Amino acid sequence: MSESGHSWLRRISIGAGIILTAFILIVLLLIVTYSSPEQFISSLFSDEIQFAIYLSLATSLTSTFFCILFGVPAAYALARYNFREKAFLNTILNLPLALPPLIAGVGLLLLFAQTPIGHALAEIGIEFIFTPLGIIVAQFFVNLPFMLRIMKSTFESIDPRYEHVARTLGCSEFEAFRRVTLPMAKNGFMAATVITWSRGIGEFGAALLVAGATRMQTESLPVAVFLNMSTGNLALATSAATILIIIAIVSLFLFERVGGKSGSGMF
Amino acid sequence: MLRIKDISKTLGDFHLNNVSLDIEDGEYMVILGPTGAGKTILLEAIAGIYLPDSGTIELNERDITFLDPKKRKVSMVYQDFVLFPHLSVYDNIAFGLKSEKTGPEEIDRRVHEMTEMLGITHLLKRDTLKLSGGEKQRTAIARALIMKPKILLLDEPLSALDGRTRDNLRKELRTLHQKYKTTVIHVTHNFEEVFSLADRVAIMNDGEIIQVGEPDEVFSKPNSPFTASFVGAENIFRGTITSGKGSSIITVGNLKFSSSAKDIEGEVYASVRPEEIMLSKMPIDSSARNSFAGIITSITNNGSMIVIEVDVGIPFITILTKRGLYDIGIAEGDTVYLTFKAAAVHVFY
Repeated sequence: MSESGHSWLRRISIGAGIILTAFILIVLLLIVTYSSPEQFISSLFSDEIQFAIYLSLATSLTSTFFCILFGVPAAYALARYNFREKAFLNTILNLPLALPPLIAGVGLLLLFAQTPIGHALAEIGIEFIFTPLGIIVAQFFVNLPFMLRIMKSTFESIDPRYEHVARTLGCSEFEAFRRVTLPMAKNGFMAATVITWSRGIGEFGAALLVAGATRMQTESLPVAVFLNMSTGNLALATSAATILIIIAIVSLFLFERVGGKSGSGMF
Repeated sequence: MLRIKDISKTLGDFHLNNVSLDIEDGEYMVILGPTGAGKTILLEAIAGIYLPDSGTIELNERDITFLDPKKRKVSMVYQDFVLFPHLSVYDNIAFGLKSEKTGPEEIDRRVHEMTEMLGITHLLKRDTLKLSGGEKQRTAIARALIMKPKILLLDEPLSALDGRTRDNLRKELRTLHQKYKTTVIHVTHNFEEVFSLADRVAIMNDGEIIQVGEPDEVFSKPNSPFTASFVGAENIFRGTITSGKGSSIITVGNLKFSSSAKDIEGEVYASVRPEEIMLSKMPIDSSARNSFAGIITSITNNGSMIVIEVDVGIPFITILTKRGLYDIGIAEGDTVYLTFKAAAVHVFY
């Protein structure tokens, strides 16, 4: 390969990279610099943005917790065991990744509004429609594949013989998993958690259909952007957007830190 | 006693086919066979990692076929060590005692006792990823032996090591076995390990145990073409060696031949690979130190090669290509000369 100035391929390809980087930076900087720092601070401490931050954190942390609770065991099963339904499960569990979130939202809305299951849950006080619970279930549905895929490839990269040895050294199956496989999967697990959480914070389409966009009730950060853009309050909208950008940058940084070491095959 | 009865198991490309084997308490059993013979699955079935499709495993008259691995008191050491990468050498070795809820002082005492035995005490705080092959294998053996297992399973424990480390560790395995009197099942494809370690050897091929017995018996009286071709074709002899300067003389029966081994005295095994032996109708004038006249007792076509057995006082096996046999023009009963270099004689003990 020529490293000299004669390589047109080098110039063109690096040029393409620079143009794309500039494009992304301009778009983000337009948002971040829209308000003055004073405006940004005062928006940040407004009741509405404070509520949106709180709601986004609470819903995304809860949905991430449930993604871990169900995603880690399911990923382990797909990585370790052979069973008849495995290929089918694998396809369906990844489907939300390819599905437009809006469609997931339609399905969830039908589930909770129109089926006996939804009615029964509402009867006992578990109400998803137009509530923060709706945001959580939408985030869970849309983001589960991220947890699942990263954890599956992480478990697949760990030789099952580590568990075999642990079991000859006095561990039950579960203890072998907890004392050996889980610590060895630590980096993959942190990468999966960060990416699931940051996707949860940004989730809009599915959550919008299930939980709606009610000011100070189901107003997460993305909903705050949407509501304030539509009413022309650009200062508040860009403040909320700036917070989302900061969260994205921090998560990407964390993901690269832990994900780079874990060899997670997701990205 | 460990009694394996009619174990069958299919796992991917590997299988066990009605394997039966009895192993006495304190015995060192070597299972010898080529790669893919099913040796590792047999160990994993004994450890309880894979349950057999049929058959039973009894330990001291108790059926352990379906017993949880953690209750078996059977420890396993894999060829590539399988040390826990997130734990230090110390925590690897202490792992099993922690499962048994042993107190920290007792753990500390036993870890030190074990590592002093294996000469790895100075490594205790190290990260396992930074150890040499021999150090890793000693750590893995310490991790298994500290459990005081009723049976220690060794899956090709020396194969991943370089020559000198392998020799040292082989001696240590013998010492450890003599000290702890643990029943050992050691799987290998290297016949040298049989002679230096085994009380008895089981020959395994294609998921089946072909022959079981004391090493001398199995190597001198192979009961099947497979055993013969796997162990017999190696020209292994038991004899005495006397060393001179830079070389030595090995006496097997009435035959004496030179070897380039140095500084060894006493009883040894010597082997000469068949392809190292030149066969001729007339004596050859060469620098090779060993040349003997003998009578051809058999000529067998084994498919790819012609196997020729020549009695020069002791039976030697040598091989020729079909073309080579045609060119040289010999038949059973003919007198021929066998010639090989001193360096072709491999000595082990």
